Amino acid sequence: MIERVSSTGALTAQTVPDTRPSLRLVPDAGTDGDSRVASHPDALTVALVGQPNVGKSTVFNMLTGLNQHVGNWPGKTVELKTGVFEVEATNVTLVDLPGTYSLTANSEEERIARDFLIFERPHVAIAVVNAAALERSLYLVAELLALDVPLVIGLNMSDVAEQHDIHVEAHVLQAALGIPVIPLVATRNEGIRELVRAAYGLAVQPADFRPNRPTIRAEHQPILEQLVDMLGACTCRRYPPGWAALKLLEGDSEVTREVQASAPPALWEDIHSILLKHEDAYLDIAGGRYEWIGRMVRAAVTAPRAGAITRTDRIDRVATHPVFGLLLLLGIFGLAFGLTYAIATPLSEWLSGVVLAGLIGLAETVLGGAPAWISGLVIDGLIAGVGTVLAFLPILAIFFAVLGILEDVGYLARGAYIMDRFMHLMGLHGKSFLPLFLGFGCNVPAVMGTRILEDRRARFLTILLAPLVPCTARLAVLAFLAPAFFGASAAAATIGLVALNLVILAVTGIVINRVAFKGEQTAFIMELPLYHVPNARTVGLYVWNNTASFLRKAGTLILLASAVVWILSNVPGGDVETSILAAIGRALAPVGELMGLSDWRVIVALLSSFFAKENTIATLGVLFGAPAAGSALATQVAAILTPGARLAFLAVAMLFIPCVATVATIKQETASWKWTAASVGLLLIISLGAGVVIYQSARIFGM
Amino acid sequence: MVEQETNLPLRLLQQLARGGIRSTADLARSLGVSEGLVKLMVEELARRGYLVALGGGACGASCAGCSSAAACHLPSDPSRSPGIMTLTPSGREKALGRS
Repeated sequence: MIERVSSTGALTAQTVPDTRPSLRLVPDAGTDGDSRVASHPDALTVALVGQPNVGKSTVFNMLTGLNQHVGNWPGKTVELKTGVFEVEATNVTLVDLPGTYSLTANSEEERIARDFLIFERPHVAIAVVNAAALERSLYLVAELLALDVPLVIGLNMSDVAEQHDIHVEAHVLQAALGIPVIPLVATRNEGIRELVRAAYGLAVQPADFRPNRPTIRAEHQPILEQLVDMLGACTCRRYPPGWAALKLLEGDSEVTREVQASAPPALWEDIHSILLKHEDAYLDIAGGRYEWIGRMVRAAVTAPRAGAITRTDRIDRVATHPVFGLLLLLGIFGLAFGLTYAIATPLSEWLSGVVLAGLIGLAETVLGGAPAWISGLVIDGLIAGVGTVLAFLPILAIFFAVLGILEDVGYLARGAYIMDRFMHLMGLHGKSFLPLFLGFGCNVPAVMGTRILEDRRARFLTILLAPLVPCTARLAVLAFLAPAFFGASAAAATIGLVALNLVILAVTGIVINRVAFKGEQTAFIMELPLYHVPNARTVGLYVWNNTASFLRKAGTLILLASAVVWILSNVPGGDVETSILAAIGRALAPVGELMGLSDWRVIVALLSSFFAKENTIATLGVLFGAPAAGSALATQVAAILTPGARLAFLAVAMLFIPCVATVATIKQETASWKWTAASVGLLLIISLGAGVVIYQSARIFGM
Repeated sequence: MVEQETNLPLRLLQQLARGGIRSTADLARSLGVSEGLVKLMVEELARRGYLVALGGGACGASCAGCSSAAACHLPSDPSRSPGIMTLTPSGREKALGRS
């Protein structure tokens, strides 16, 4: 049982007999409470309890020095540490119980601690509590008080609490709890002598132990008493009846099992029927406990000094304000685009102008002798398509950096919080919102995220909404074309288009909410993290992961799609104007005309976004010719469209049918072609409808 | 024994049944207790099956093996954060049944 025995050195000036408790986990006769009332005991057993990492071991080591025995609990893998020290000429055996947060028998540690306190009945227990997490510590104290073991408290880690502006007044806590509370600085051996003296005092005068315990509602009091009487009549593994009754009402599985096993069947029947009738007692008992913790905390913890409100609170007053918060969010959105246009657009121009042109020149030299179709495919297909998409790598990098920084600072959770309020005002269900929020990164997880909705119909309708959230790929397409399309008003036009997108999302959401949710509301609890300075490594890693993932996509899906577009634009005759692609584009021209998109190449570009949203740009690159790639490409496209048609084109691009990955996910999640078709159909109608309305309105205003 | 006028865990469930995203700080304010106590109650209510954590559950498993999984997520997107909880059907029943 005992694996290691440390040196029994002489830190205390006594020889050390083997005074370890017998550590039996089943009781034997004669260990009744009365035996503990000893005015001058020869030997005492003291249990040391507390949460993990609360300084319990430090207290244990300070008290027992080298007089420790380390082993295992009988039949368990959990470490058992006992030690001895002397106080007032009395040998004290100190048992360091495993660190636990409660005594609910959820884990082996909790079961060991609880069984020791119940069956071994130490003369007194010392609870080391964490002043910086007082609520959690008091939860354990509440459970300890339900047992009949006298308790003293060592209030440790006050220094950590002070750093967080939490001031715990030990004497007030002592008065409120009705038990000794001794402030400790365990690491400096401060307060430990007083703690031991208080424990000794209680051990010799157990009658002084009159704690203020948590209470339960009056309506459940008679039931509790009835259960106590019934348990008193049975042996039930010698659980203290009062405690066992409480645990039965709480639904403690181990106590329930033990009582069922040891009580006569008729008695158990009666107990069981009482428990069934009072299933709601759990919330009352828990409520009483929390109410008690709340009272203790209110009494003993002084609020942060006036004016000394934490940085997070100060920032949150604005950041989570219903109006200012939303304005801040929009401001940050605008800033992100402004930053993109200021930094990424010139970089992107340089990439497409210098690097891409250089690459084309190189390819022309290398492929000089190759058949025309090969150089055509490589230069006009792959380089023009993939190369153009790669040119917006800086745009994406800035997006990811902004998102990464906002997340790491702790702002993004506030963004979700603010947006939810906004959506709430518009009647959109809170639970739908969460998956939709994921859509800003990519629509695929948004569709998968709808799994949190239990209701099938609600879930499917939320899936319909998911592709309406502008994903990063679509925002990048927007950011790539907007500067050439709108010049100085690019930022305003971008925000307008994103806002239009969100309004359409909200309106569709309201309709769906009315149809599917019938006003039922569910909330989320969200722990808003503290603000902190972003970590360069975290953000860098995030940008790198996402950029690498984009590069993989460019090297596979976009490459393939560019090749397909080039081939389709060169068969059958090798002339773009008589190609299959041109025929497809021209067939759709009547629809395009309504949106001012009379050039078939623009229509084909929109169609190709089905493979991946970035393909809009890749296809334009292929069809408009490689040498004019990059920002010049955007200018070239702008030249053939009126301002109204440009707006319409971007609106359609933002709202168009989801990419193949999203459609596949929708099919997988709904397991229904009907719903998948409904999603594609809905977005087709919305996007084309928006395009037509924008272009026709612009025409009326003469744009 | 003093009768409790209010029951904190029950009030917490009822607040949630009203809808929306609630921060722990915000719940603490409206219940008149500390944020630490709200977190403690949330954990116990989750153990009891009245609340359920959405952490890792929203799409965690289905993203396994997907090459663009990294691109899908914000560094710690809300649905993966262990701090996000919602009512279970039994939690909702409790909240509405006694409100």
